[in-house]
Amino acid sequence: MSILRLEQVSKDYQTNGAKVSALRDITLAVKRGEFVALLGPSGCGKSTLLNLAGAMDFPTSGQVILRGVATSALDDPALTRLRRGTIGFVFQSFQLLPTLTVAENVELPLLLAGAKGSRAAALRVLEQVEMDQFASRMPYQLSGGQMQRVAIARALVHAPAILLADEPTGNLDSATGDLILALLRRIANSGQSTVMLATHSAEAATLADIVVRMRDGRIQEIRENPGKP
Amino acid sequence: MPYWKLFNRLIVRPLRREPVRTLLAAFAVALGVAVVVGIELAGNAAVGSFRSSLDTLADDADLEITATGGLPADVLAQLTALPHSFRFEPRMEDFAFLPARNRTVPWIGVDFIANAPEQDASPGDSDPADRFRKEQVWVSAGLGYKSGDRIWVLIGDTLSVFIVGGVLSKQPGEVLAADLSLTDHLFRRQGKLDRILVHIPSGRSIAEWEKLLRSALPPGAGVEREGSRTDENRRMLAAFRWNLRVLSYIALIVGAFLIYNTISVSVVRRRAEIGILRALGATRTAVLLGFVGEAACFGLAGALAGIALGRVLAASAIGLIASTVQSLYVSSTPASVELSWEVALLGIGMGIGVAVLSALSPAWEASRAAPLEAMARGRGEHRVQIRKLRGLLAAGLLAAGAWIASMQGAVDGKPLFGYLAALLLIAASAFAIPALVSVLAASAAAWMRRLFGVEALLAARGLAGSLRRTSVLVGALSTAIAMMAAVGIMVGSFRQTVVLWMEDRLQADLYLRPATPGGADRHPVLSPEVADRIAALPEVAAVDRFRAYSIRYGGMPATLGAGDARIAGRYGRRAFLSGAKPQEVFEQLTSTDSVIISEPFANKHGVKAGDILSLPIAGQPVRLRVLDVYYDYSSERGYILMDRSRLLKYLPDPAPSNIAVYLRRDVPLERGRDAIEPVLKGRKVVVLSNRSLREEALRVFDRTFAITYALEAVAVLIAVMGVAGALLALVIDRRREFGLVRFLGGAQAQVRRIILFEAALLGLFANAVGILLGFFLSLLLIFVINKQSFGWTIQFHWPVSVLTGALSLVYLATVTAALYPARVAAQLNPIEVVHEE
Repeated sequence: MSILRLEQVSKDYQTNGAKVSALRDITLAVKRGEFVALLGPSGCGKSTLLNLAGAMDFPTSGQVILRGVATSALDDPALTRLRRGTIGFVFQSFQLLPTLTVAENVELPLLLAGAKGSRAAALRVLEQVEMDQFASRMPYQLSGGQMQRVAIARALVHAPAILLADEPTGNLDSATGDLILALLRRIANSGQSTVMLATHSAEAATLADIVVRMRDGRIQEIRENPGKP
Repeated sequence: MPYWKLFNRLIVRPLRREPVRTLLAAFAVALGVAVVVGIELAGNAAVGSFRSSLDTLADDADLEITATGGLPADVLAQLTALPHSFRFEPRMEDFAFLPARNRTVPWIGVDFIANAPEQDASPGDSDPADRFRKEQVWVSAGLGYKSGDRIWVLIGDTLSVFIVGGVLSKQPGEVLAADLSLTDHLFRRQGKLDRILVHIPSGRSIAEWEKLLRSALPPGAGVEREGSRTDENRRMLAAFRWNLRVLSYIALIVGAFLIYNTISVSVVRRRAEIGILRALGATRTAVLLGFVGEAACFGLAGALAGIALGRVLAASAIGLIASTVQSLYVSSTPASVELSWEVALLGIGMGIGVAVLSALSPAWEASRAAPLEAMARGRGEHRVQIRKLRGLLAAGLLAAGAWIASMQGAVDGKPLFGYLAALLLIAASAFAIPALVSVLAASAAAWMRRLFGVEALLAARGLAGSLRRTSVLVGALSTAIAMMAAVGIMVGSFRQTVVLWMEDRLQADLYLRPATPGGADRHPVLSPEVADRIAALPEVAAVDRFRAYSIRYGGMPATLGAGDARIAGRYGRRAFLSGAKPQEVFEQLTSTDSVIISEPFANKHGVKAGDILSLPIAGQPVRLRVLDVYYDYSSERGYILMDRSRLLKYLPDPAPSNIAVYLRRDVPLERGRDAIEPVLKGRKVVVLSNRSLREEALRVFDRTFAITYALEAVAVLIAVMGVAGALLALVIDRRREFGLVRFLGGAQAQVRRIILFEAALLGLFANAVGILLGFFLSLLLIFVINKQSFGWTIQFHWPVSVLTGALSLVYLATVTAALYPARVAAQLNPIEVVHEE
């Protein structure tokens, strides 16, 4: 049973009056608990695909079906509700709010959804990423790897069905990046969330169950990763 | 040329990309400049180009001879007998009311036979002497009458009709002129002249002629340069103009905060850009000049718009200023508003100057940044956090300076140290604000989250995180609120003091005055028999006849008044500075040549109880001992009061300027009024009950301060606009954060609420700081600036309802100003803003 399906999805942008195709005729199905890596160079459409998968954007044509619901059919409040329950985002540049403590950053998705018990949930998930001892620190007091672990905790705190990670190791040294990738792998293994990782690193993609190779907005190849850990 | 290209690309172009914010900043300067220019122009028209309306028809006279209560006619005879070829113009001067025009105009009595003014030809009247024997008046062209018209004129309580004998075509303004003998009769002058204008012959200096004339005059008469009355009035109005001017500068100070904020935002936003430019070879000076130039652009654009707006504002303000001048100081007709080069240059100088000065600090900071210091916000804000303590220390020192300055006396009659103390207090508050905001925001975050949810938490943390910007915004808004609160408290206290003073002072049941409107220098009189007949009525217990004369004392206009001291002692509860019992003071007034003086008179002339005033009355010098100083709020010119019976010895004119009627205890007000009615038949007399007199006084009071409130409102408007602009900048700067909130499951409405909560918190902080600062500023206004400018003792009073209403309105305006930025924030495309790095 696919948790996410993209059916003949294309996405165009208008830049200075000219049409730029970011995605062309993409069809992809992602099953619950899978670790999918979108592999390709910069500008190949990985981030656009993640945005569509995360219901942050609509396709120009085709359908994105998230948990059986076509995102194009939803208005903004409904999309917001869908995201709250289904999606967790991790970004290359961590995107922690500098004015909130670590715990407050992690709590944020639950608070925005109006959920109760947000602090306990945040501490639980921080423990999971081994950052619970930093709960009351401010983001600027953390290293890059620590910030990204906090960002992952934030993405997991509301137990999303899908975790979308856009170049999460792009701003980290290789050793720290490996730790983050291992963490994502663990998350997928635990069945907690489906993980979609956008990366330009073939090495990073070796951790995934499925590798989707992209180029110029198209899928070149979808293959199961035989060497997955 | 290359520099201009760079300036255009790096400074001007970004401004064009954010037109709303740029316009808001320039408009803030424009409003500030407009207020300064508007008040300057209106002040010039109402006061600055002031020429006493009684100087009408004075032409090019060199000297003038005057005496309190008038010059006996034989003085003129003595002067004409001098063996020199002086030309003398005897004059009687007063005011009359034209019901058809609803206007009070000067009435000048001149010797038309000897000194006929230039006028239109009046066919049929060949001999001037014939013309002036009839009951004819001459009118200035501005009144719109022509020869032969009938004109109704109210003089004192008597309405009379005259024939227009001719039009004084070259006479500007509005004036009635008539022959001396007619004037003498109508105004009951008993032959006394108000002034004799003197044209001196050539051959000696004006000072020598002045000396010669003085030696020929009786001791009570004085010789002065013609026009000195205008100069005296101008001096008297100086404090009024000063305070008005200072009030107008408040709007500019608030504007300065906002320019500081705009340039700070520019610097913070372009930190990386500055680093790149420095790495590419830009000097520190170039960076400094770039940002100062940006501020100058705001200043110039704002100033040009402000001058045009100021011209419009002046047209609306002139009526308010003129009516204040009329009711508090002197009769004058405002001139037309004219935009002079001086005022235009003042506006441009002020606009650019304030903008550049307020940009210096952020521009300097930008120029000091090392190329590699193009860092994230966290570090810059952290530095501000560390500087909080230093700011508190500076605030303490500035506040101490303010306290010391407030203890100093006036300089040349101006409360310069009072103003300095106010500026130091504002500066102290600006330095203390980061620490205050930091504490307030931190404590607000916890309870706001509990009460209003995560949006409120994000708002509170956002404000604390942008401490520098938040502080500047709170500084601007709180300064405007503080000035509004301070002026509100001062005016409210003043009003309450006046109300209490009137309760003490106004004890009579009815007050009568002629229908001819009076003023600070106009004291039309009632027919003497009116008072006598009222006093004889069985319903009446007592009648106090009060007579006022406009005089000059110590080179300034003042009022000499006389009432029945026995009645005042019996009924009045006049409060004296010494705390003496009124009965005892009034008892002494009746038995000796003595006076009591009002507090403004005492302060203005440095006179105290026990001093001797030497007053030339009706051509003879009179020495009067000052018994005590009493609280008075009716005139800023200042009063010298004596007993009526003693004044009548010197000026035997029994006509009162107004009458206070005390009814017998068992006579109800309406019955008393009915009893008086027949006495007034055929006369134009205004009868006011005690209550309606108080209401009228408060109406004049409120009108006087209307312009003050208007100026405060503009300052608040600028601050609120600044909040809108700054929130817009904040949205642009923190767009990534708002986009992220959307990624994390936040709805558009939640993003909107974050901005609205930030505005609500800003308003709350600014109100808290503003009230505190406003309280201290009000103490300065009441006990230092007002006291030194006008000499009034005002009791402190909290005008709770006015303050609550005004502050709520400002708060509402602040939150409303956030609606547009909130909309912009909610509509940001989260993908674009999060990934644009």
